[in-house]
Amino acid sequence: MTATSEAPAAFRNAAARPSPLGLLIEAIGDITSRRRLVRYLVQAEVKKRGADTLLGNVWWILDPLLLMGVYVVLVTIITSRALPDYPLFIFAAILPWKWFTAAVTDATGSIVNQHRLIKQIAFPKIVLPVAATTAGIVGFGFGLIPLAAIMAFYGDRFSPLVLLIPVIAVVQYVFTVAVAILVAAGNVFFRDLGNVVRHLLRLWWYLSPGLYALSHLDGISLFENPVLRFIAHANPFAVLFEAYRSVIYGTPDGPPIPPDWTSLLILLVASTAFLALASVAFKRLEPSFAKVL
Amino acid sequence: MTDRPGPITDTDDAIGTRDLGVRYSLRFSRKKSMQRTLSQLLTREPAEQFWALRHVDLRVVHGESLAVIGPNGAGKSTLLQVLAGIIRPSEGVVDVRGHVSALLTLGAGFDVDLSGSENILLAGAFLGLDDRLMRDLLPGIVEYADLGQFIDAPLKTYSSGMRARLGFAIATSVDPDILLLDEVLATGDATFRAKSKARVLELVRDAKAVVLVTHDMEWVREYCNRAVLIEHGQIAFEGDPDEVVALHREHTEDEKRRKAAEARAAGLAPAIAR
Repeated sequence: MTATSEAPAAFRNAAARPSPLGLLIEAIGDITSRRRLVRYLVQAEVKKRGADTLLGNVWWILDPLLLMGVYVVLVTIITSRALPDYPLFIFAAILPWKWFTAAVTDATGSIVNQHRLIKQIAFPKIVLPVAATTAGIVGFGFGLIPLAAIMAFYGDRFSPLVLLIPVIAVVQYVFTVAVAILVAAGNVFFRDLGNVVRHLLRLWWYLSPGLYALSHLDGISLFENPVLRFIAHANPFAVLFEAYRSVIYGTPDGPPIPPDWTSLLILLVASTAFLALASVAFKRLEPSFAKVL
Repeated sequence: MTDRPGPITDTDDAIGTRDLGVRYSLRFSRKKSMQRTLSQLLTREPAEQFWALRHVDLRVVHGESLAVIGPNGAGKSTLLQVLAGIIRPSEGVVDVRGHVSALLTLGAGFDVDLSGSENILLAGAFLGLDDRLMRDLLPGIVEYADLGQFIDAPLKTYSSGMRARLGFAIATSVDPDILLLDEVLATGDATFRAKSKARVLELVRDAKAVVLVTHDMEWVREYCNRAVLIEHGQIAFEGDPDEVVALHREHTEDEKRRKAAEARAAGLAPAIAR
């Protein structure tokens, strides 16, 4: 019987310092060679969330619906400026946003929580935040069920363009993984990063066009400043929310239209570059994890 | 290929280190907050550092069973972590040839919400073992750990003895070339301890090389053919197990006497001051 193991190979020299490209290739190898581990971790995560509560997987469906209810009440009653078919309008943003926050929050603790394991087994740590992000896809998938229900309610907004949701989700996934591995590594060195991240996420949500349309900013004098205007439009979640919304909701007065492909493509390219940089940074920091934890 | 030849010149060697050093920086030590670290960076307060290991030259040839002994905090476990590839050396070179299995502490990767069999597969994936191999090994592991019908129950329903048995069974399920052991011999109840000791001996016999960290001096004298004494991160003495154990005992006694003398002095000092 032979054990095939990628465990500690051979020669380690303290003087050797791998190049960024070498680190990137290593990171890709870490993930591809440990696909099985990522899969098991994702399965474990999903099982845990479903099994622990009375209603189990029903929470995956109820949670975004309840959140939507809160925002609908908030906006229609307090500001009384709701757009037509407003529940569908914001649900198109709540769904992807919940995936992002869940993934980033879970990834933040993913390495620190496994400190015992990291001090005892040599394995590529990058699988931990990647698994946390990937597990979020399941929640996103469950969220499509209430989405279908809401769309059935607003029947005239339905179009085959909803089939483009997975394409937009791929772009979001690339961006999310990059953020996830950065916060996971950062949290090893700064244990209170989790608090910072929680508040930044909340701020990010309100600064992104989730409850309002991106065009809403045009009416605000502050955003006449070209720099602020650029930042508002370059915000990855401005691009993503607008894209999801255009295939799910359309415009306030019209049915769904294809997303802005140019912005999506730019975001995909930028996110891929960001992911490459994040992976290199992660691999740089990885050797210190076992010492710091 | 370089003008700095590797530490290993002989192909019989399983492990070699040359001038190995591991340095810890206390700047980012555990549970430091961002505020504390940033203020240190801003005030340019130099980071405290300490060498857990330094100038360690070690060779373990095939067929050898090496004991690493020494007082607590001397760097024994750090040495095993470096050999297992968990920690990268801060200076020097380490060369380990063959499939390494490290039995450091058992059951580290367990997830209490998963069942016994799921944990076996997960542990295998963490160890980097082939999934098919792990599935083949599964029945044997379950039988060895004596889990019975509990195998499909979540781990949180297990007793601590069952968890320890499962951890041991997984860690020893694959025959490694190089076996690294850190005080895992005392596990579970008396019956299982005897069983696990027999299994460790079997692994020690089959492995091409063994490095063992322990405080069990009887084991060292009985089953190891060489020993090193590590003190303050350096190899203080290396040689025949009996000699090394004797020296370690001597040093421990000295240390005790010194501590006692210090305590006496500290106790007397206030009296003198008065």
